[in-house]
Amino acid sequence: MTTTPPRPAALSTTAAARRVFEVSFGEMLWSRRTIFMALVVGGPVLLAIIFRVVEAFGAPALRVNGARVAGGSVFGVMIWLLYVRFIVPVLGLFYGTSLMADEVEDKTITYLFSRPIPRGAVLLGKYLAYLACTGLVVLPSVMLTYFLTVPFAQVPGTFRSLVLDLAILAAGLAVYGAVFAFVGARLKRPLVGGLIFAFGWEPVVLALPGYLRQFTVARHLQALVPHAMPSDSALSLIQGLFRDVPSVPTALAWLTVLLVAFLWLAMRTVSRREYVLEQ
Amino acid sequence: MTAKTRYFVLTAFAILIGGLTTGLVASYMGGLPVALTRQAGPDDLAFVPPDAVAVAYANVQEVMASDLRQRLRKLHPDSPDQNDFEEKTGVNVERDVDAVVAALMPKSLDAAGDHRPLVLARGRFDQVRIEGLAREHGAEVSDYQGVRVIAHQGADESMALGFIEPGVVAVGSTDGVRAAIDAKRSGRNVLSNTELMRLVSELDAANAWAVGRFDAVAQTADLPGELQQRIPTLSWFSASGHLNGGITGTFKAEAKDDEAAKNLRDMLRGVVAMVKIQADSKPELRSVVDSLQLGGEGKTVAVGFAVPSQLFDALELMHQREQQRRPAAR
Repeated sequence: MTTTPPRPAALSTTAAARRVFEVSFGEMLWSRRTIFMALVVGGPVLLAIIFRVVEAFGAPALRVNGARVAGGSVFGVMIWLLYVRFIVPVLGLFYGTSLMADEVEDKTITYLFSRPIPRGAVLLGKYLAYLACTGLVVLPSVMLTYFLTVPFAQVPGTFRSLVLDLAILAAGLAVYGAVFAFVGARLKRPLVGGLIFAFGWEPVVLALPGYLRQFTVARHLQALVPHAMPSDSALSLIQGLFRDVPSVPTALAWLTVLLVAFLWLAMRTVSRREYVLEQ
Repeated sequence: MTAKTRYFVLTAFAILIGGLTTGLVASYMGGLPVALTRQAGPDDLAFVPPDAVAVAYANVQEVMASDLRQRLRKLHPDSPDQNDFEEKTGVNVERDVDAVVAALMPKSLDAAGDHRPLVLARGRFDQVRIEGLAREHGAEVSDYQGVRVIAHQGADESMALGFIEPGVVAVGSTDGVRAAIDAKRSGRNVLSNTELMRLVSELDAANAWAVGRFDAVAQTADLPGELQQRIPTLSWFSASGHLNGGITGTFKAEAKDDEAAKNLRDMLRGVVAMVKIQADSKPELRSVVDSLQLGGEGKTVAVGFAVPSQLFDALELMHQREQQRRPAAR
């Protein structure tokens, strides 16, 4: 008489998510996508180094229509234009949409789903790995940019803003990541959908008066930014005219709702959807 | 976790923790970063008492030698009053004054109950001639800490001047001039005023600037009551400008809290956007309007601007046309 080996006990969602996180974090950090992330995030640091070198020689590094721009303002503009409006949505988009899509494309999703772990935990673990991976690259880059652009004498007056910036960018990565994780889990071509959302829907809706702006991440995230919004384009001017800034508690509440709702939806989609691998 | 991953995580955390610690220490120590950087502002700030509510500076030589000043001089030649002042005192502002530091002293220093100015001018002055002129007008000379203070007592206020250092003259109330002498001697001067010096250290290269408490300046400037009611949320301000062919400048104000600053920035953003849209119909003002830049973070609101030399070209042309039209009309 032969005895069958006992089936391994299924892990709880938390424990399973931790296991997936441990495996995914290293993979994600040293993937080809990280080269793209390093280039994107290295841009502001490189600009800040150039700014510091030029300022060190006593020349104004940046003039806007003849007016010299101080280091603190340069950092504020970088936070707005480079980090809040570009880097955070782009990283959320590229990493968030690929959390499940990569496994499908590489046809490795079967191995993950055949393990005795809840399917939703796979997405949760990968999402946490994305957060750690992008956070550990973006936030140090902001720190370096700050100390390179802002003169030391101005640190006491601006440090609180830096801490807020770090928190806002972490929140932005978390919420955009959740939104795009859902897009990645739900759509067949998630990158296209994500690009339309981040660079089509959000900027256009923000420039329109009305309630539709509630359904963007950017509106709530930008309400928290402590720096003045730069008027760099006609679209910015229109956004400036129609901009009704929600209060900080309202913005935080919306971001929390978006984060929880989209993460839950993404996990639910992964749990219920049947992924058909192309042969 | 592989060794490579571990090193990466450690490096990222080191940058974050190092930056946060440095920022926290700098914020906690307050004036430390200001003290570690080279002394901000001109040396003559050492004559300004520590309780000054506002300080301003102008590099007179740079301003007078600027293209802009030369152009304005063509439009408005020197008045006879200026020549009269030079004949009496021997001082030609354009030639003899290098720089001016002005301060607004708090009410308590003066009996009259209003903020009083103290002006410190550095340059070349004929002490004997000025003293003689003051005596002719009823001024009395007294000695204070080895400095001759020339004071004139008016009906309700005193006016004094003292040559407090070779090439430096202080003009203000008697108490104000004496306070300037004490400030330099004791070393207790505005350089130890952390709040004001923080604002001075944040100024960019400018040949004229002013920093101070907004409420004090608003009171002294006698702003309309309605306007004063709308700006109680502002605590500090700084304004700096550089004059050469044109003017570039920045005005910064610190609000009482982040919320007030955010509201003010939003209001100004709307105003700037409206002005930019309306400027399309006035191309001569386009460059000035385009240069308006709204900035600031946390409690700070900043507006930068630049008036290019081309605008003064246009003004000069308008003035010339006006001059040509006048004789024709006669």
